[in-house]
Amino acid sequence: MSTLEALVAAARPEAARVITFSQAVREALAEEMRRDERVFVIGEDVAEAGTPFKVLSGLVEEFGPGRVIDTPISEAGFTGLAVGAAMTGMRPVVDLMFGDFLTLVMDQLVNQAAKTHYMSGGKLRVPLVLRTTLGATRRSAAQHSQSLQAWVSHVPGLIVVTPSTPYDAKGLLKTAIRNDNPVVFFEDKMGYTDKGEVPEGDYAIPFGVADVKRPGEHVTLVATSSMVQVALKAADELARQGVSAEVVDPRTLFPLDKETLVASAKKTGHVIVIDEGYERYGVTAELAAVIADGAFYHLDAPVKRLGAMDVPVPFAPTLEDVTVPTPEVVVALTKRLLAGEA
Amino acid sequence: MILESQLFQPFTDEPIAVTSESGEWIAPFELDLGPDELRRMYQDMLLGRAVDERMGRLQRQGKVSFAAPSGGHEGAQVGIAHAMRAGHDWLFPYYRDVTLPLAIGVPVVEFVAQAMGTAADPSRARQMPYHPSSKALNIFSAASPIASHIPPAAGCAISMKLRGTDQVTVCTFGDGSTSEGDWHAGVNFAGAQGAPIVFACQNNRYAISVGFEKQTGSDSIYTKAHAYGMPGYFVDGMDALASYYVMREAVQRARDGFGPALVELLVYRYGGHSTADDDSRYRPRAEVEAWRKRDPIARLRRFLTRKGLWDEAAEREAEAVVKAQVDDAIAQAQAAGDVALETMFEDVLAEVPERLVKQRSELLG
Ligand SMILES: Cc1ncc(C[n+]2csc(CCOP(=O)(O)OP(=O)(O)O)c2C)c(N)n1
Ligand SMILES: [Mg+2]
Repeated sequence: MSTLEALVAAARPEAARVITFSQAVREALAEEMRRDERVFVIGEDVAEAGTPFKVLSGLVEEFGPGRVIDTPISEAGFTGLAVGAAMTGMRPVVDLMFGDFLTLVMDQLVNQAAKTHYMSGGKLRVPLVLRTTLGATRRSAAQHSQSLQAWVSHVPGLIVVTPSTPYDAKGLLKTAIRNDNPVVFFEDKMGYTDKGEVPEGDYAIPFGVADVKRPGEHVTLVATSSMVQVALKAADELARQGVSAEVVDPRTLFPLDKETLVASAKKTGHVIVIDEGYERYGVTAELAAVIADGAFYHLDAPVKRLGAMDVPVPFAPTLEDVTVPTPEVVVALTKRLLAGEA
Repeated sequence: MILESQLFQPFTDEPIAVTSESGEWIAPFELDLGPDELRRMYQDMLLGRAVDERMGRLQRQGKVSFAAPSGGHEGAQVGIAHAMRAGHDWLFPYYRDVTLPLAIGVPVVEFVAQAMGTAADPSRARQMPYHPSSKALNIFSAASPIASHIPPAAGCAISMKLRGTDQVTVCTFGDGSTSEGDWHAGVNFAGAQGAPIVFACQNNRYAISVGFEKQTGSDSIYTKAHAYGMPGYFVDGMDALASYYVMREAVQRARDGFGPALVELLVYRYGGHSTADDDSRYRPRAEVEAWRKRDPIARLRRFLTRKGLWDEAAEREAEAVVKAQVDDAIAQAQAAGDVALETMFEDVLAEVPERLVKQRSELLG
């Protein structure tokens, strides 16, 4: 912590510290595991290694290998296992190392976790949390860089959470663990070292409540997860150019806080929706439709979307970096939108 | 099916070795490899090790984003490579294979360029480092999702059978990979179809930080072959010649129409899982040191020396050759420069779709 950060922290005991996104996730897990002995963590390399991203470092030391369980390499296996455990009174938190491996767990997640409550006539609940990652630009190429949040957002029976700050990560993960439904919780792998103020101790952020990350007047930038920082950087640049951008983070894709999105759109009359997944049939498509539906008569221009290009994520940095939205791209589109040229 | 000519029994309790630690020939059959072939195996291992070490260094210098140390796996890999008909048989490797693709014939410059993602990479800078592929040499790209190459490998072998070729598919993977559903699906299919494929498991007893005891309740991998109706061979993978001979027999068996086999090669990775991994958190140093003493390169060198096929001068010369080869490959890979942006839009589909044409023109103006 820098001296300045320390002074700020001392002045505000409630928001006492600046910590990283991964520390916030770990802290939420540790606090929930202390509070509720039914909570356990299961996944590959979660114990001694504390995951390759070092998100869970120290948990096995406190809670032991019985509650921080290293698994065989079998994602479908441990996700299904979590369904069985959740259904019978436990609160598993599944660690799925890369979001790309959602492909491997879809049967358990979509055909079991999401439907057991319904198919059992409401008799069996599946309170599991599946934490996984999204995001490109880590030089991990096509099979380790995908942002597949749209896939699970499509499925009734699942809750989908996309925190963008350490504060949101801690508060939303607590809600996820306490929630009685299956929750898919996406963490931006490039944002694990991002820092932010996080209160010590307990607080929970309700699902379905968007957060205005930056108020503005001229344009609304609706951004999810990894794209919130991109939108905020774009808003900084736009401010220098005399454009006031409002940045709205839905925080949960399902349930979705339509009111906040629509209210912001009505206020500014110009909207760009940004998500790191593909545009086609994607998260941005749904959000744009919701906004167009709710704010149609207040919009001065069509709702615009930004997402990944329609290519598998390439490896070479020069290629990879241009496949996902950047602040420059957001700024350029905003200016065209406001000029009536988009 | 047991063949008349077979040298090895499946399902042995002890790993098969044909040389002792000190390099004596201990097999009950006669060595039938000539001096050139033996020396070539040794040189291939030296090259694999040199590439591995240089890639690690390049990663630390920030010139490569990822490297998967393969030191300790060279004996198994060179044995697998030399048992195959390069460019005729198909190889479905995994990311820890370095000596293997190089020994099959992947030019060092291609391997390095692939890892660096430069314009000299035949896969056009689209795959993670350590995922080289070669259409010319029948090498499929390693899969970043563990074991997802196993069913395609089985499918490739079934295709060979349907088309009546005399090719064999060889598919490699680690011990951890055998826990995936895809592994079981692929191996089961190959067994049911009698497909000409050899599954070669490089068992280094770790999957990143997860030890073998957590991976499976079984104390071995080769015994799993039994349930899928194929022979399972247990091999000392630190013995390059044992790896070669067992693989050769399994490949020949598949080629002759007797179906698949599973070969477990006991190896060790000296380094971390990847350059990002701190293995001291889960592996005692004494264990690493004990395995280093069993080094497959040193073992084959002792064997060659005993036979009078190798000496200090040959070693010095071979090392100089390998170093020059690697230096040259790195220089060439770097000199090729970045891939052109417009290439990124090709190959998503057979033709560039309209949406991509639009995205390309937005990007390039
Ligand atoms: C489907 C999938 N799950 C998890 C991972 C993360 N991962 C990469 S390598 C690895 C360990 C593989 O171990 P093993 O098969 O024994 O091969 P080794 O690396 O030891 O050679 C894991 C878990 C992955 N890449 N793909
Ligand atoms: Mg292994």
